[in-house]
Amino acid sequence: MSASGGEFEVVIGLEVHAHLRTKSKLFSPAPILYGAEPNHSVHPVCLALPGVLPVLNEHAVELAIRAALAMNCEVHQRSIFARKNYFYPDLPKGYQISQYEEPLATGGWVDIPTQGAGGAASKKRVRLTRIHMEEDAGKSIHDDAIAGADATLVDLNRAGVPLIEIVSEPDIRSAEEATDYLRAIRSILRFTDVSDADMEKGHLRCDVNVSLRPHGSDEYGTRTELKNLNSFRFIEDAVRAEIERQSETLRAGGAVRQCTLAYDPQSGRTSVLRIKEDADDYRYFPDPDLIPMLLAPEQIERVRSEVPELAEQRAERFQHEWGLSEQDAIQLTASPAIANFFQAAADRHGAPQTVANWILRDVMQALKELEMALDDSPFSPEALAQLISMVDEGKTTVKSARGLIAELVESGGDPESLIAERGLAAVSDAGVLERAVAEVLAENPENVELFHSGEKKVVNFLMGQVMRKTQGKADPAAVREILARELGK
Amino acid sequence: MAEGIGTLRELRAALDSRKTSSVEIVGGCLRRAEASQQSLRAFVGLRAEAALREAEASDARRERGEVRSPLDGLPIAIKDNMVQTGEPTHCASRILEGFVSPYTATAVAGLERAGVVVIGRTNMDEFAMGSSTEHSVEGPTRNPWDLDRTPGGSSGGSAAAVAARIVPAALGSDTGGSIRQPASFCGVVGMKPTYGRVSRWGLVAFASSLDQIGAFALTAADCAWVLEAIAGHDARDSTSIPEPAPAYSAALSGDLSGLRLGLPKEYFVSEGVDAGVLAVVREAVAGLERAGAKTLEVSLPYARYAIATYYSIANAEASSNLARFDGVRYGHRTAGAKGLTEMYCRTRSEGFGAEVKRRILLGTYFLSAGYYDAYYRKAQQVRTLLRGDFEQAFAGCDAIVTPTSPEVAFRLGEKTSDPLTMYLSDIYTVSANLAGIPALSTPCGFAHGLPVGLQILGPALDEATPLRIADAFQRITDHHTACPGGVS
Repeated sequence: MSASGGEFEVVIGLEVHAHLRTKSKLFSPAPILYGAEPNHSVHPVCLALPGVLPVLNEHAVELAIRAALAMNCEVHQRSIFARKNYFYPDLPKGYQISQYEEPLATGGWVDIPTQGAGGAASKKRVRLTRIHMEEDAGKSIHDDAIAGADATLVDLNRAGVPLIEIVSEPDIRSAEEATDYLRAIRSILRFTDVSDADMEKGHLRCDVNVSLRPHGSDEYGTRTELKNLNSFRFIEDAVRAEIERQSETLRAGGAVRQCTLAYDPQSGRTSVLRIKEDADDYRYFPDPDLIPMLLAPEQIERVRSEVPELAEQRAERFQHEWGLSEQDAIQLTASPAIANFFQAAADRHGAPQTVANWILRDVMQALKELEMALDDSPFSPEALAQLISMVDEGKTTVKSARGLIAELVESGGDPESLIAERGLAAVSDAGVLERAVAEVLAENPENVELFHSGEKKVVNFLMGQVMRKTQGKADPAAVREILARELGK
Repeated sequence: MAEGIGTLRELRAALDSRKTSSVEIVGGCLRRAEASQQSLRAFVGLRAEAALREAEASDARRERGEVRSPLDGLPIAIKDNMVQTGEPTHCASRILEGFVSPYTATAVAGLERAGVVVIGRTNMDEFAMGSSTEHSVEGPTRNPWDLDRTPGGSSGGSAAAVAARIVPAALGSDTGGSIRQPASFCGVVGMKPTYGRVSRWGLVAFASSLDQIGAFALTAADCAWVLEAIAGHDARDSTSIPEPAPAYSAALSGDLSGLRLGLPKEYFVSEGVDAGVLAVVREAVAGLERAGAKTLEVSLPYARYAIATYYSIANAEASSNLARFDGVRYGHRTAGAKGLTEMYCRTRSEGFGAEVKRRILLGTYFLSAGYYDAYYRKAQQVRTLLRGDFEQAFAGCDAIVTPTSPEVAFRLGEKTSDPLTMYLSDIYTVSANLAGIPALSTPCGFAHGLPVGLQILGPALDEATPLRIADAFQRITDHHTACPGGVS
């Protein structure tokens, strides 16, 4: 089954929740510490002790505005925090502070890559309904091994962490588009430094609404909601499975029921969590503990002027200013870490294409083999620029330099001293090289013969032999020069 | 009953002239509180040891000439809905049994900074929901003027403790009249400042947009002292007014000449008010006129909707505010429940009293899908109109006077079976909470042998004018000095 719905048109909308990168919580002074002992980064406000009150974190507001502007939304000068009332053990107040009737931002859009007519690369625009701010809930731990049988433990470290919820219009038409959209959102959140947007760590979560309708219909079918999908792979698989499930139901003449579903990656199937007989009644009302959030137009404009360059703009700049290919530019803007690393190394070194080649080939491969992220590597862009320059200047060889990349990625260090310590300095001593060339020519008379008979390519073979003789340390330019001179005799 | 305590100012003078010590004053308060519990039940908990220790520390400060404020070493009682580090706060509810606070309310911290000694927590209607202090898990507080009658509520314990001269002052909270109505019933001064004047940080929420901490005292001047210690901006309360505490005492000039007093025509009608109460209030107004005030008629056309508006908003907010009492983290949790839903249901069924349950149910209904517009949103719209009424009225006058309550203290049990009648007890007081304006009640005479309160309302942010009027009134009358029988 393809990710499109065959005889049906697939209609998908996403609700994406992203943690904001703040030091403290949205309404509490408790610090945000990932990996802290359970219930250790909490404050009376997070515990909803009697008498506590929320105070809005201004930095969270700045980040939310920045994200909304980067996603082309209209940021409202007045928005309201509302209480969403429901009972759950990891929701300490018995309500979540969110936004309802007057959200921070509305409208906006995110572009995702798509194939245009004839397979040409193109863009598709996914419209946004709104972006609003809210606080996260804590975590309930039902695991028998931790909580004991029939018991639930509650960890409130996450309770109150600031979130934005990004709600899309139902503009998405396939499972691939859903993940492309989420990748685009993640890229914007990262390039704007709004969120680490790491799905594994729960910084980015999404609920997917899926419905089918006959092609050409302008009415929406009954939708189902897939909850708590925490990887791109699961999202794509879950959406495909749900499209399949709904298609089968409809083909068999049945009706899709509105419900909330969970996806089981083991079986690859979706299963009903609960049927929505009526819409949930969360009894939203404006939180009387908080005053309306009023933003001055100057504040919004200031944040707008501070929105950093996004991946797309950076990639364009790399192409236009530095002459990179589109493919290289897109790869080098896959994350702000790579883009920043490339930009700094290229600025330092001066030949962006050369630097790009080193990063895309050697650095990426080393990261992959070491299963590391560039963010976690001590390798500095300055060190890369220096290493490449040493190759340029004949101080070391490409081979020696490439051999050092993995080590530099893993543990950092100064390329110049590493090359000296390891004896990897290029051999450019004329006497040594001339002796090596003479030996190689003497050992390979048939190739010398071939060269003279017009097979000029054998020079590469002879080069290789000289390099081998010098354990790869010979300065290739100098070797080529001596070879040419000796063969030309 | 033992000899009652004097005013804060009398006690200050006695300390300064070394006629007594803080330890002696606080010890006396504790003895009177204990002795009165059987008859009055004004307190739900005393902090005897800590209070005496703090009194000793205050005496030592005075010896060293390091007196922190005019209130240093003087005793106070706080309502059982304000938290203090290391102390229980139960809101007179079973649901908070066992809860001890790890932090202190801003208002209480203000008292501590001033050197005030908190001697204990006073009884109240559970979660401040009530007008009689009968809805308490500890049992009702009684009115010192007549032990068969209620002290009013919900801050009835605080009012009774001051009226019985157990303590010279007490903190209360006022969501719809919970300071002023008991002050009226018990014949003491009670003031609710402008909404946001005193931080709500550490006040257990009933209705967040209406709740306000205030003070009880024997005189307006004493009340001003206490308010000065607890008012002012607090960054931990987003609804706190961003201004320092005004110097109320400096405004007590005793001069009423040229003062324009508005009399709402809707409130000065014989309908719905006890004739004796109305006569006493009219006589008080005449007294103010004789002292130089001019009276004029004002109109509050939307005031007739105040009770309905108030109960819609207050209950809606309460239904949400009380959701945190779920048995998960603190307070009462039912034993042996199977499953989460049963734990919630049994915990809350056991933990809350009938009146609290009634209000949670009503508030939940008002916020429900399909009813929100008809109740909560409509109530907010009326609230805006009512606020407009007051703004218009204050354009032509400096203060508004009304009876505090339509009647004198009623009998215990008289209204518990008829909640709606109980709610009407708040008819003159809820408007000030809806409009967010300051209002106080001061003793203005007796009807049927029981105290009657005069309510004085000021424009937003202007607590000083009602305090100045009450103080001036007390200089020309002696109603506030009258003691209930058995207290001297």
